[in-house]
Amino acid sequence: MLETTVVVIGGGATGIGTLRDLCMRGIPAILLEQGGLAHGTSSRFHGLLHSGGRYAVGDNESARECIEENMIVRRIGRQCIEETEGFFALTPEDDPSYVDRWVEACGRAGIDAPEVDVKEALRLEPNMSPEISRVFRVPDSCVDGFRLVLHNAMSARRHGGKMLTYHEVTGICQKNGKVCGVTAINKNTGETVEIACSMVVNAAGSWSGRIAALAGLDVAVSPDRGTLVVFNHRFTSRVVNRLHPGSDGDIFVPHGSITILGTTSMPTDRPDDTTPTSEEVLRLLKIGEPLFPRVREYRILRAFAGTRPLYTPGNAAGRKASRNFHVVDHAEQGLDGMVSIFGGKLTTYRLMGERATDRVCAKLGINVPCRTAEEPIIPDPDEATLARAAKYFPVQGIKLMADRMGDDIGPVLEQAEKAETNPLLCECEMVSMAEIECVAKDPSTHSLTDIRLRTRLGMGTCQGTFCSLRTVAALAEHGISLELSPTDNARRFLQERWGGLRPALWGMQAREMELGRAVYAGTLNLDGAAHEQDC
Amino acid sequence: MSRIVDVLVVGSGLAGLVAALTAAEQGRSVRLLTTGMGSLAISGGSVDFLGYADSRLASDPWQSLALLPEDHPYRLMGTESVRTAFKFFSDTMEKQHWPMRPALAQDGTPRNTQLPTIMGTLKPTYLLPASLNTQAMASAKKVLVLSVHGLRDCQPALVVSQLKRYKSWADREFTQGLLPSPFGETHRAITALDLARLTDKPQSRQWLLDALAPYAGKYDLILMPPLCGSKANPEVWQAVNAAAGCPVVEMLSIPPGVGGLRLRDALLNALHKHDFELVENTTVLRAETADKNCTSVLAEASGQQRRHAARAFVTATGGILGGGMVLEPGQCWDSVFKIDITVPQDVTLWSEPQIFGNHLFSRMGVRVDREMRPVDAAAAVRWQNVFFAGRSLGGYDYATEKSGHGVAIATGWQAGRMAAAAAAAGEKQ
Repeated sequence: MLETTVVVIGGGATGIGTLRDLCMRGIPAILLEQGGLAHGTSSRFHGLLHSGGRYAVGDNESARECIEENMIVRRIGRQCIEETEGFFALTPEDDPSYVDRWVEACGRAGIDAPEVDVKEALRLEPNMSPEISRVFRVPDSCVDGFRLVLHNAMSARRHGGKMLTYHEVTGICQKNGKVCGVTAINKNTGETVEIACSMVVNAAGSWSGRIAALAGLDVAVSPDRGTLVVFNHRFTSRVVNRLHPGSDGDIFVPHGSITILGTTSMPTDRPDDTTPTSEEVLRLLKIGEPLFPRVREYRILRAFAGTRPLYTPGNAAGRKASRNFHVVDHAEQGLDGMVSIFGGKLTTYRLMGERATDRVCAKLGINVPCRTAEEPIIPDPDEATLARAAKYFPVQGIKLMADRMGDDIGPVLEQAEKAETNPLLCECEMVSMAEIECVAKDPSTHSLTDIRLRTRLGMGTCQGTFCSLRTVAALAEHGISLELSPTDNARRFLQERWGGLRPALWGMQAREMELGRAVYAGTLNLDGAAHEQDC
Repeated sequence: MSRIVDVLVVGSGLAGLVAALTAAEQGRSVRLLTTGMGSLAISGGSVDFLGYADSRLASDPWQSLALLPEDHPYRLMGTESVRTAFKFFSDTMEKQHWPMRPALAQDGTPRNTQLPTIMGTLKPTYLLPASLNTQAMASAKKVLVLSVHGLRDCQPALVVSQLKRYKSWADREFTQGLLPSPFGETHRAITALDLARLTDKPQSRQWLLDALAPYAGKYDLILMPPLCGSKANPEVWQAVNAAAGCPVVEMLSIPPGVGGLRLRDALLNALHKHDFELVENTTVLRAETADKNCTSVLAEASGQQRRHAARAFVTATGGILGGGMVLEPGQCWDSVFKIDITVPQDVTLWSEPQIFGNHLFSRMGVRVDREMRPVDAAAAVRWQNVFFAGRSLGGYDYATEKSGHGVAIATGWQAGRMAAAAAAAGEKQ
């Protein structure tokens, strides 16, 4: 049996952020995650680091938290953030009388939101609708949620933290009204794992209600489903929001070479309800059109959905439910040693971790201050390391690679130095062999999909058509085997991509999808091989 | 306006080229308009006739035709017409010294061949260039799998590990090898087409022959990516096989489609012997019709619009991939005649959750009669002198059936023949 002081449940931003905080304060901790890191909502949102402008009118306290955390996260997580700033724009369909209330609320929350001349705004964002009548500038930013989780995990590991991925929690053990351990099942091997501990932090996001129920507690957490659309273009340099009360589909967020539009909001009873529909895609396009009139002409790359963990005591639901978070000590309900984090959003993940860790410290009688707001998550590579990298990576790709790899830049460089060449296997996202090889050898990597989440392999224009073949070929050539055979692995990878292509099966994307079918079914007979190999 | 040709073909994929050649061989003047290279630029170069029917592997594809749905283009044409079309194609390729033949079963009946791919999978395919020795492939014990340094798409280790998963290949003795790149140290990504183009020319072909020399005579069979030239040139094959000292079989490979370019080369060579004009880099915007006939199409090249008049028209613009069929939310139409293809409003119904499932979109296309003339919902012919061929037709899924080039040849031949007849009738009037 494993033993530790604290078990953290949930490997999303909040859980990993909590683990990092616990470890930095010297508290032994193990984290359990049912899938891979960022399996849930942390990899299924629009990637907006909120300025808080979005919540200023409806939830001023959330707005204040957002702007404070926004400033902290850009400082500590530089590699995960693109400092784009954001616009709030009033379209002819929005109520002009809302503007004054919004401006006043931003001021109250401490959000700097100066008005920009419409002409100037259109010069900066020429694809934006000329019908827009007022524009305000806010410190919105873009964040790579998956990378943020991964870098926090690297930092936690540096401070002694342990993580068990693909481990689903099956029970919270208690004795005399006090937590004494956690049981989980290893989803890859089927083995049961028991961990003795004195405290549990429930940071399972949309699943946090279910974890609480495992401990016999009744909590109101309602997963709320949101669908997002990814475009194959970066048609805006900034985050662009519609200036109106929070609603569906009205934020455009640029990332690298793409743009994400989201989201819808619909209650669901399943935290893993993540299949988007065509109807939702079309609705998003309709709502996005007043901001970007040509939105229907832009090529859609895929659609995806995630669930938000809304904390809904008293039955507030959907948009009305607070985006605020709550750290709950279940001692009040008769279970000592269990702390849950309910609600919240990615922007405030660090603060949620800090508050939860404060509570754990108070319980354990530990008096160490939080340092997560001061220390960078990943140290910047030095000049010498970057100079080494310049020999093996295309010049435009060095920063990308360094920001992606974080602590792993050393091993990646060693890999590149050892190899004869370091070809790009994914040209859309500029992912090279050395990165893929290094990630593939990591014990937490089981599949091409895991490699994708760490490197962005297959997330670009071709959606895996060229790079999945190249990657399984290169891994075979280098003698690195994953759990599935190369053909089965490629098939599963393409299947995962297919899920996001289906709801927007038209226009240029349909042609690209047919190219994928022409290659993998028409030429390589990957579909037939599924039944004919091993027989 | 330029002269009126007999037959105007839109699209230079396999269907368009076969249609053009069929009409040209009947003595008709033919003009072919094409935007790009057509689907042959991404093709592996073997002719898939019918690999799977009713989800079952077809070893004798002619037998399996009966398992196809009634609206399948092969069923629509009838087996005898399909046979005649295939014979026309085979004869053409023989004349071009690039024979395309099926493997034969013990009793002499033609059958599908399971051809290895660069992924180490096997694909059932029908007509192969005669340069690929199917006998050697079936009987070889000692197999050498080769690729070239820097060719990212083909790695021998993948091919060997996956081929071994098939019963028919499991017991063979495999060796892997990498040929040195003729480009030396380069950061540029190289493709099989780069290498095949070197092999085209006698003066630069030597790199491949020299690279093969160390392996000569040690194996029963060499599997390679498609490196033996981008043209339909049998000389290259003779030289490569001689250098290897054993039969060389090229594995099916992904785009750029070296094998497909050889077919294109052979067909264009055949076409240039006739009254034939190829107009490249031109996009057909729309057709102009009067009553039950099409009079001309309007095309754009380098920003200039030009009207092309003809007595008969063949539309072989490809399907979704080629841009011949346009999908928009809740709608589908062909890009030239704007024929509205009835589809469910809800896009979700167009596809299945499994990527290689039985998708509705894969069978969307223009409905035609036996003569390849588009028909309306009441089965009435829309225009007397318009014929469709290839993937713009509905009723079949080339990708999962492995029937792409086969349907292109069959329907291309039929459309070309019918267009020639319509043009002849039009001339008399």
